[in-house]
Amino acid sequence: MIMASICSRVVFSRSLLLCPSAFLTRRNGALFCTMQSSGTQTVTKGEMSKTPMEALPRKQTKVHEGMLKDYEAVIGIETHVQLSTLTKAFCSCPYMYGSQPNSTICPVCMGLPGALPVLNSKVIEFAVKVGLALNCELSLNSKFDRKQYFYPDLPKGYQISQFDIPIARNGFVDLDLPIEFGGGHRRFGITRVHMEEDAGKLLHSENGTGSQERTFFYKLSPGLGSNMKCFAMVTEFAVASFQYFDSIVDFNRAGVPLLEIVSEPDIRSGLEAAEYAAEIQRLVRYLGVSNGNMQEGSLRCDVNVSVRPIGQLEFGTKVEIKNMNSFSAMHRAIDFEISRQAVLHNEGQVDEIVQETRLWDEGAQRTITMRTKEGLADYRYFPEPDLPEVSLTREYVDKISASLPELPEMKRRRYEKMGLSMQDVLFLANDVNVCNFFDAAVEKGADVKMAANWIMGDIAAYLKNERFCINEIKLTPEELAELISSIKNGIISGKIGKEILLELVAKGGTVKAIIEEKDLITDPVEIEKMVEEVIAENPKQLEQYREGKTRLQGFFAGQVMKASKGKANPVLLNKILLEKLNANS
Amino acid sequence: MAVANAALAMVGGIGVTMLQRQRNQLYSFMAKNPLGHALLRSRRDFSARSSSSLLPPDVSRLAETARIALTPDEVEEFAPKIGQVIDWFGQLQAIDLQNVDPALRADAESNNLREDLPETFDNRESLLAAVPTYEKPYIKVPKVLNKD
Repeated sequence: MIMASICSRVVFSRSLLLCPSAFLTRRNGALFCTMQSSGTQTVTKGEMSKTPMEALPRKQTKVHEGMLKDYEAVIGIETHVQLSTLTKAFCSCPYMYGSQPNSTICPVCMGLPGALPVLNSKVIEFAVKVGLALNCELSLNSKFDRKQYFYPDLPKGYQISQFDIPIARNGFVDLDLPIEFGGGHRRFGITRVHMEEDAGKLLHSENGTGSQERTFFYKLSPGLGSNMKCFAMVTEFAVASFQYFDSIVDFNRAGVPLLEIVSEPDIRSGLEAAEYAAEIQRLVRYLGVSNGNMQEGSLRCDVNVSVRPIGQLEFGTKVEIKNMNSFSAMHRAIDFEISRQAVLHNEGQVDEIVQETRLWDEGAQRTITMRTKEGLADYRYFPEPDLPEVSLTREYVDKISASLPELPEMKRRRYEKMGLSMQDVLFLANDVNVCNFFDAAVEKGADVKMAANWIMGDIAAYLKNERFCINEIKLTPEELAELISSIKNGIISGKIGKEILLELVAKGGTVKAIIEEKDLITDPVEIEKMVEEVIAENPKQLEQYREGKTRLQGFFAGQVMKASKGKANPVLLNKILLEKLNANS
Repeated sequence: MAVANAALAMVGGIGVTMLQRQRNQLYSFMAKNPLGHALLRSRRDFSARSSSSLLPPDVSRLAETARIALTPDEVEEFAPKIGQVIDWFGQLQAIDLQNVDPALRADAESNNLREDLPETFDNRESLLAAVPTYEKPYIKVPKVLNKD
C-alpha cells in the first residue's frame, strides 16, 4: 500500500502548537501516532518519548549484543519503485518531480466521473524488464484490481493495483556484501512484482486548525462519484466521525506508475537489507526504468522485521519499519529493531512485541511506534472493471529479454573474471555510468587494473569534489585508454599522467595534444646531456652506487626528472641513466 | 461509501451487459469481499435461487471500512436499500454457466494501450474550480483521524 509521504520540512510541530491543548489530552500517544499514519518523517521527538514501551537506550542494545546470537531476525522488504515514464500510468499527464503543485492533473488521475483509464505501454515494458531482471516467472495474462481505501491523497477512493495475479513472481536477486562488512555473496527470493499507481502527496499546512466541512472529503473523492446516486448516498452519510483540520494535497504524483517489489523473508540483518535495497536501486538504474532516488521518494522501502529464537520454525511477531531514506539508515534502523526485539525476547517480554508500524527516528537513532496495526486491513479488492486484461505474447517477452543490458550481477562476475579485486568490482559496478565508462576505456585497450585505479582514484575524487556524474566530465574513455597506454609505454611519467588527466577531465582535449603542448623531452641526446650533468654533480652518490648501493638509481632518476622539470620521457631517461651509471664499472 | 463503491463496481462492471463470463468475475470479487463472502457462503452451489435467500449485508461493518459513522437507525434504514442492490445482482445467478470457460476478465479483447506521450489536460482551470477549497497551488483537504 502506498502511504502518502509528507514533505520533510513540514511544520507539523508548529501546527501542533496551534491546536487547542484539549486536542492533545484527549488522545493517547498511540492515537497521536495514528494521526500521523500517512507521514514518514514528521513525528516530533518529544511525542515519541511519551510512548511507554519505547525505552531501549542504545547502551542497552550494545550490552545485549552477545545475547543476539541466540536469536535470528527474519526480514522481508516491500520496495516501491517509481517508473520514469514520461506520462502517468493511466492518463497522458506528464510527470516531473518538482513541478508546480496540481499542474499535471486531468479527469482520469483526479477520478472524475466518466473518465476512463488507459494503460501506458511503457509501464508494461518496464514491469517486464524488472520481472526478467529479477529472474521472475512472468504472467502472460494478468489484470488490474481495485484496492479500496480512503485517504485524501487518493482521489478515486481506490488505488489501481494488481492483487492475485501480479505480472511477475518467484524470482531472486543476487548480490555481494561489501568487503568492509566481511563480504559474501547472497541470493534473496523475490515473491512478486506488480504494477500499481502512486497516490498524491499529502502535506500539512501551516495554518490549518479548524475547517469543519463535513462533506468536503466526499466531494473531493469522485471515485465513488462516477455515479450520482452514489454521490447522494455519500453526502447523506457524512457524519462527524473524524476530526478535521487542514492538510494540503498535490495531486501531480497521483497516478504515476509504480512497481512494488516484494522480497521473500530471506533477509537476516540490517546490512543485508540495505544491500538488497541498494541492489534493487542499481538494477532499476541499469535497466533505465527509474532514477531510484530515495530522497525524492522514487525508491521507497517498507521493511518487516521479526525476531525468533534460533531453531524456532515459526516467525515472531512482525513489525513494519518506515521512514528510512537512505541505505545506511535502513541498516541502522533494522539493526536497532532487531536488538529491541531480541532484548524483549531475552527478558521474557515477548508479549511486548506487537504487530505495529514503527518509524525510524534519524535524530534519536531508534525506531518509535507510529501506529499499532488497525486490525486486518480490508481493502476489498476486486478486478478493475475499467481496464482490460494485460496480455503479453512470448515474442514480446523474448524481444525485451534480448534487449536487456548487462545487469549488476553479471557485471560483477565479469569484472571478477577480468582479475579485479572485489573492492574494485563493487566500486565500479555500483554505478551504471561508471561501468559504462570503464567498459568503454577497456574496450579501447586500456589496462584493466590501471583503468580501475584511475577511475577509483583521481577521477572519483574529482567527481566527488565537483559533484559531477562521470558522464558530465570532459574526459572520454578513449583518452583515458590513451593516457594509460602512454604511461605504460613510458612516453610520460605517472606524475605527468596525473596532470594530463586533471586537464582532460576539466577541459577535454586529447592526450597527444597535451603531451605536445607540454613540450615533453623525448630526444635521447637531450636527455643524455641532462643525465651526464646530474652524474657529474653527484660524485659521492655515484661512488656509492658503484659500490653496490643500486637503489640510488632512483635518486639519480629523480634529479634528472627535476632538471627536466618533469618533462623527460621516463623510459628513455631510465634507460640512458642505467647505461651511464654502469658505464665504467 | 464502500457499499456504494461495491455496488457501483457491480453496476459498471457487470450489471449492464451481463456477459456470461462476467458472472465468474462477480463471484471472484465476492469471494474477496466480506459482504460478497457472506453471500457466497450461502450460495456456494451457484444455482439459481430466489435472491431473497441472500444474507443481509453487515451495514455497520461496511460503514466502518468506508469511514462512515451510522446511527443504529440509519443502519436499519440503509440495510434494506443495500440489500435491494445486492438482490439485483442476485439475478446473475440464474445464468447457466455450464458451458462457459472461466476467464480472468470479462472482456474479450485485451491490451488497450497507449503510447507514453505527454499531453497536458487543457481545462485544468475548470477542474480546479470544482474543488471546494483550492488555495493556490494546493488543494486543501480535511485531515482525517481514525477514531479507533
